[in-house]
Amino acid sequence: MNSSVKSKQRFTFADPERVEQIFSQYPDKKSATLPLLHLAQSQEGYISSGVIDTIADLVDCHPAIVMDCVSFYTMLYTKPQGRHIIQVCQTLSCSLNGADSLVDHVSDKYKIEPGETTADGQFTLMKVECLGSCGTAPVVQINKEYHEGLSTENFDKLLESFE
Amino acid sequence: MNTFKPVLTEHINQKDCHTLQFYKSVGGYIGLEKVLKMNPENVTQEVKDSNLRGRGGAGFSTGVKWGFIPKDSSKPKYLINNADESEPGTFKDRLLMNKAPHQMLEGMIIAAYAIGCHTSFIYIRGEFYKEYKILEKTIAEAYENNILGQNILGSNYNLDVVIHRGAGAYICGEETGLIESLEGKRGWPRIKPPFPAIEGYLQSPTIVNNVETLSCIPHIINRGSNWFKSIGPEKGPGPRLFCISGCVNNPGVYEEPMGIPLKDLIYEKAGGIPDGKQLKAVFPGGSSSAILTADEAFDVKMDYEDLVEKKSMLGSAGVIVMDETVDMVQACLNIARFYAHESCGQCTPCREGTAWLVKMLTRIVNGNGTPNDIDMLLDITDNIGGLIDFSQGSFGKTICPFGEAVSWPVRSFVEKFKDEFLEYVPKEKVFA
Amino acid sequence: MPLLKIDDKEIQVKSGATVLETAEENGIEIPHYCYHPALETVGSCRMCLVQVEGMPKLQVSCNTFVGDVHPDRKVDGKYDMVVHTQTDLVVQERKNILEFLLLNHPLDCPVCDQAGECYLQDYSFKFGNAHSRFMENKRVRSNEYLGSQIVINHNRCILCSRCVRFTQEISGTSELYVEARGYNSKVAALEEKPLDNLLAGNVADICPVGALLSTDYIHKNRIWNLKKQPSVCQDCSVGCNIDVFSQKNQIFRLSPRENHDVNGYFMCDIGRYGFHRFEEIERVTKPMIRKGDSFVSIEWEKAILDTAKALKSAKAEVSGVTSPFHTNETNFMLGLMVDGIIGNLSQINDEEITYPSGFRISNDRSPNRNGMNDVCPVNVEDFISEIDKQNIRTIYILDDGVDRDFDEVWKSILSKMDFVIVQTYRMTMLAQSANIILPGLAPFEREGTITNDRGRVQWLRPSLPINGESRADWEILMMVMKTMDKKAQVFTDLSQVIMEMCEKIPAYKDVSFFKLGEKGLSLNGATPE
Repeated sequence: MNSSVKSKQRFTFADPERVEQIFSQYPDKKSATLPLLHLAQSQEGYISSGVIDTIADLVDCHPAIVMDCVSFYTMLYTKPQGRHIIQVCQTLSCSLNGADSLVDHVSDKYKIEPGETTADGQFTLMKVECLGSCGTAPVVQINKEYHEGLSTENFDKLLESFE
Repeated sequence: MNTFKPVLTEHINQKDCHTLQFYKSVGGYIGLEKVLKMNPENVTQEVKDSNLRGRGGAGFSTGVKWGFIPKDSSKPKYLINNADESEPGTFKDRLLMNKAPHQMLEGMIIAAYAIGCHTSFIYIRGEFYKEYKILEKTIAEAYENNILGQNILGSNYNLDVVIHRGAGAYICGEETGLIESLEGKRGWPRIKPPFPAIEGYLQSPTIVNNVETLSCIPHIINRGSNWFKSIGPEKGPGPRLFCISGCVNNPGVYEEPMGIPLKDLIYEKAGGIPDGKQLKAVFPGGSSSAILTADEAFDVKMDYEDLVEKKSMLGSAGVIVMDETVDMVQACLNIARFYAHESCGQCTPCREGTAWLVKMLTRIVNGNGTPNDIDMLLDITDNIGGLIDFSQGSFGKTICPFGEAVSWPVRSFVEKFKDEFLEYVPKEKVFA
Repeated sequence: MPLLKIDDKEIQVKSGATVLETAEENGIEIPHYCYHPALETVGSCRMCLVQVEGMPKLQVSCNTFVGDVHPDRKVDGKYDMVVHTQTDLVVQERKNILEFLLLNHPLDCPVCDQAGECYLQDYSFKFGNAHSRFMENKRVRSNEYLGSQIVINHNRCILCSRCVRFTQEISGTSELYVEARGYNSKVAALEEKPLDNLLAGNVADICPVGALLSTDYIHKNRIWNLKKQPSVCQDCSVGCNIDVFSQKNQIFRLSPRENHDVNGYFMCDIGRYGFHRFEEIERVTKPMIRKGDSFVSIEWEKAILDTAKALKSAKAEVSGVTSPFHTNETNFMLGLMVDGIIGNLSQINDEEITYPSGFRISNDRSPNRNGMNDVCPVNVEDFISEIDKQNIRTIYILDDGVDRDFDEVWKSILSKMDFVIVQTYRMTMLAQSANIILPGLAPFEREGTITNDRGRVQWLRPSLPINGESRADWEILMMVMKTMDKKAQVFTDLSQVIMEMCEKIPAYKDVSFFKLGEKGLSLNGATPE
């Protein structure tokens, strides 16, 4: 197996106190894996191999085990994403209330398909499963916020507010 | 019908209802004070007596579950609040976390006390970021006011609560999947035995309870198990948060006693179906339950027993209404696709079966179905999750109930709307 | 002890045993994939589902424990558990699971290495459907190298996760993990940490299908062409039990053989691929005598005669060098033959490696040091000075076969000798300095007993035919002895040598091929007088 020619990305947590605080909450080290991954992703925008190595060191396990964990979850990205991640729920209640046309709207407006990022890196479009707010369908999550009960019109306005 | 005075959501429309100050002003933490003077076993007994059943979806008796914690174990005990609400059609826990977080917290502390736990976790789904921030403040308020930490309210009971965010996996709502995720691994459910109450988080006795279940606890303590039992049917009583969404005028969460007729929920509470359309089918208990046809829906009460009799289940009480305009095949595909996406992939029937269902349904929707497909779909769903008939002994094909969760709805779509599926089959393929 | 009934067989079990373990131990077949006795149970393949009376769901027999139940709850008044493995429900369920497993599995049998020893093939034949109903597109991925020795064919993988658990629990190196989830799950290794630990070869063994393949063996042969010979690994003093697979004059692969007193279920890659060393070496297959700076081959009779003459004339001023690479019988015979001092070549040491599971690679990379010391111990403090002191000029060396450069000590010993006899199978540096070279057998041609570093005597069996005019090492020594002394005992076969060894070496009194069998015999730490 040839070793990778590209230089290894390194990663250090910008807030070591927060890391300490996270570890102090759990009876063992490994349980801190997910919170550390969230923290790293909020710093780097995605989980790079440097993040994986650093976290593996911190929680005392092999990098492959951390990667095993990362690759399981939809909210952890192993590649850089756009600055704003548009996640449209596609499960039943939202689908019954027009979610599909919201997806089409983004595709038409920004020329990206689900899973893709705009050329300028501004938007990534994703179709996601139930966001747990079916009562206000259709629901779109952009970055960390929920935007509920969207019509195509006010969705359009919302998107423009991010441009 | 009489208007039911909400218990869990009594104050959700008031300003600042999520604050400690507000909660205390409406009698918050009085239950906890009472409990801290009780013997923990009596607390468990009170909850057992109330017949409270879990509100996450499984509907197991909460008091009985707490009773499984071994008394003679020297290992630390853990209480985990399952706030990983991901069942399609369900959005009640989100409401409780937004508007009545202290009620939930009080329930958690009481539960933790009852089982002898000193470190408790809230596993909240990663997407609920706003709710996470609210809970952060809630926990901070509690610590500042001696409701958490050392010597709670002057007693010698200590409890720490840690909020742990998930990262996007429905299967982490399953208790052993949740425990694995909490331990920092992929959320692959564990085989049972051992059961979490004996060997759960870090091989220690662990209880996992839903947000709504825990929110009921302070009220049971304050008003007594008899009061709780008197609401709705005695075998599965209490106020329940029913979520209703889909094709209704007023989707939302409605707190009603257990046993409310489903048609009342749809037509009275949720304002019926828009544009006067007819009801076609409805999910009574989240997407993991079998759908009911309009006729069946008109007859059924929203409680555990009645729904089981109708070969469905109450589950998470997430009602999804589908009207006459909804294409059942597309809806079936939508649900199957959800399950295929969320399958953890550990065991054979679920990993291969869910994808097979999606592929078949996609082929049917694209116009390449065959008449054979109907029977095959039914057979495949059986092979993943079995029939709703315990006497057949045909469950247990998967490690966790995910197998049943995908096969019951898909099967019910195919069985009850066979004609719609057959309509997708090109005429030339339908042999005489 | 609880009483378990599986179908119509009644079995007393230890409390806490699982149904699957019990079935395995009692010759009842319950098909399974993810279960492996050395690994943690996950119950994920669902193949071992059985019907248990009194339980509504089908149960995975790998995780169903048998314990004593209250007399009131015993089935038929006497059984603590009754299990059915042949009911319609179970039979149908196996068909269903196999159907699911075969959905994306390519019809590769004609080109798949695993054919003939594949559990998917076997179970499909015994328990599966004869046809497929799958009309959709299969999930297709390309093969990947997980390490330099292991390639994975993702399309054949049934995600039993045995390999992943192996690297986590047995080797403790955790190179393998499962990537993604659901239908997209696949076994993977990080690019910067490939599966290259010394136990890596085992994952190809434990893979029940042809997903994980050894690059060493891939596409070289078919299991039904190969002869399987149980034997013992000779690459270190642990003495892992192995099976040697060969066809005619070639060994194709080695696999570990189960022995809980030695290696458990596994073997290391040093031993596993070690047999290749002997494929390219320069063999010595005829007796040779020195002529100036080179060698000429001679007849056995002459070689033996010349050797015997040299030894006889040296009388007691002769030394013998035993070898920890040779069998007990060979070393023993040397001890009988040489009246003088006995010494050893310098020890070849390397890293001692222990794995979390307890599996060990010894730092002593010779297979029979203990045996050698038991049956023909070194009888002097300092071999080198004794040679000088006693003015020894004749030396008979059992060559290790390891080609190495000599240190100054050995160079000086050899330079003092008048007559050097080297019994070897290859032209080593040592052999180059001999007067007579007697061709013995290479490691995979030898038969005899060897003693591992825990005092277990094991049966080393030959997997390859004898090459050229070489003879068994013990036999060469016997011929020399007989030529030296007409009254010397003649051994017609190896077991006779062993019988003599039993008599002369008290610790080895119980050793015989019959007693050694497949698992060997422990000497219980007994040391020879």
